Amino acid sequence: MDRLRTTGIVPVLAWMVLTYLMAPAFVVFPLSVTDRSYLALPAHGISFAHWVHFFTSPTWLRGIEHSLLIAAGASTLAVVCGTLCAIGCWRLSSRAGEIVRAAMLLPLIVPTIVYALGAYRLFVDLRLLGTFTGIILAHAVTGLPYVILTTSAALANLDPRLEQAARSLGASPSQTLLRVIVPNILPGILSGAIFAFAHSWDELIIVLFVASRRITTLPRLMWDGIHESLDPVIAVVAAALIGVTLLLLLPLLLRRATAGAAEDQGS
Amino acid sequence: MTAPIARSVRGHALSVDRLTKRYGGLPAVDAVTLRVTAGTFFSLLGPSGSGKTTMLMLMAGFVEPTEGEVFLDGRVITRVPPERRNFGMVFQGYALFPHQTVAENVAFPLAVRRVPRAEREARVLAALDLVQLTAFRDRFPKQLSGGQQQRVALARALVFEPALLLLDEPLSALDTKLRSTLQWELRALHRRLGMTFVCVTHDQEEALSLSDELAVLRHGRLVQTGTPPELFERPATHFVADFLGASNFITGTVSEREAGTLEYMVGARRFRHRLDRENSGIGEPVLIALRPNKLVLHPVEPRHAINRIPCRISSWTYKGMEIHVLLETPVGRLTLYQPTGLTAYTLEAGKPVWVAWDPDAGVLVQDDRPDGERCQVGG
Repeated sequence: MDRLRTTGIVPVLAWMVLTYLMAPAFVVFPLSVTDRSYLALPAHGISFAHWVHFFTSPTWLRGIEHSLLIAAGASTLAVVCGTLCAIGCWRLSSRAGEIVRAAMLLPLIVPTIVYALGAYRLFVDLRLLGTFTGIILAHAVTGLPYVILTTSAALANLDPRLEQAARSLGASPSQTLLRVIVPNILPGILSGAIFAFAHSWDELIIVLFVASRRITTLPRLMWDGIHESLDPVIAVVAAALIGVTLLLLLPLLLRRATAGAAEDQGS
Repeated sequence: MTAPIARSVRGHALSVDRLTKRYGGLPAVDAVTLRVTAGTFFSLLGPSGSGKTTMLMLMAGFVEPTEGEVFLDGRVITRVPPERRNFGMVFQGYALFPHQTVAENVAFPLAVRRVPRAEREARVLAALDLVQLTAFRDRFPKQLSGGQQQRVALARALVFEPALLLLDEPLSALDTKLRSTLQWELRALHRRLGMTFVCVTHDQEEALSLSDELAVLRHGRLVQTGTPPELFERPATHFVADFLGASNFITGTVSEREAGTLEYMVGARRFRHRLDRENSGIGEPVLIALRPNKLVLHPVEPRHAINRIPCRISSWTYKGMEIHVLLETPVGRLTLYQPTGLTAYTLEAGKPVWVAWDPDAGVLVQDDRPDGERCQVGG
């Protein structure tokens, strides 16, 4: 295969597209260090006053706490259920498995607002409305597709005979799962976990529908902040959200890059 | 060093009774009954689709039979899950755990059995010593050659002192030269351990050279069992004669019978066959299998020979150890193998020659060809 040209107009165009796509997200970084008291670019110099406010205000600290709690709970639940589901589909390896896998991707396809409305209606009856449990459950469902996609991809490269080998060597089904299957698909599970965490970390719509005023995740506080005032702390929060997400994705991107480099060297 | 393995391992007998596995009504294994004697190297041989792999899966416990039972030393184990059968298994492609080192792979069966760490290490070492891989204990499977991976798979399947060892096409992934070396090793290992080995293969040469006893399968049915010489020299059917090595087939009609011999005719020609086991009445059709190396080429008519026919050399191929000669004869095409260096005259395509064979060179076989493949050869 021909290498993509890395000189001339092609890289310039690529960078332009990339900039166009990414700039709106990264504009929050200069906004977050503004020296003004409203949401605007720095005028006379850089100030970290809003960052200090973010990390000292009890409201925002509680936001961090709530967001972390929900994202951790939801991604754990999504990882456990999603991984088991993907392994089940892999073992079926037939039409039934394909159908289940497709059904599990529904949360990605259904508009979030529709799902949020449904969850709201359901949670009334289940008495989960306004509880952490409710929001964790809802985020776990929407995080599930990410885990199933990444785990299934990892399983596709796994020799099905490994499972038979483990069983013939005396491992029970659960020992086979924990000692052979999971260690071999761990990279896939971890990337799924990161995606599920990041998804819950910046999710707003479902929180607006099913959480009470008591639950104040970071996206929700931002939403309220934009409504009430154009406080530059919002930019700080946005920057922090992006920062955390990038930090989570960093090991994933690095691993891909080194794997890619290794493959390049091999070929 | 190898004492813990060699000491306690002894042969166990495995048998299956009317074992049947159907997939959606179609039998993959059809009412197979066979007995694997304790301590033997037993091979299941057959072309792809013959049900041999399903047989192995049934023995290992990965597949539950539709009908029939599996016995170990006379005890029914048909519904015992694979992890409780205590059978070692070497998989096609070896199925080594890629995330574990050689030593960890070999320790796996001991770890899941909660064997204490100190004992575990001693036994792993003994098993690695058995396959001469102690130097590779900290390597990962993908850092090993195919032959080394195969030996790790063997060590892993033997370290927990299994009742017997199942091997699924153990040498198919290796190149020819390495394969023959490992055949010797596998044979030596079997002799040394005295365990029962059950091996599945489609390679007839491998099956003949490895096994004490083998079973030929076709379309899920057992065709014939026996020792390698029994099967090769006394094939029961057309299929076995054709599948194990090459064979010529002559179809004739019985014309005369005496004590120990029968005469059959192909067209107007008479041939004599020394009877080995089966008897046919006068007027009945017979199918005689003749190995290509039992035919003898003569430049002029060999008057002393009982079975002889004039023929023409159609073509020949030089194979190094022997020459393969294709002959056009009044009884059809015959293939003849002749050791190189014996021919005192030149082989020429189109040259008229004579071919002869002894009355006991051929084997009377049962005609199990599908109807479409049967064709009468005549002159």
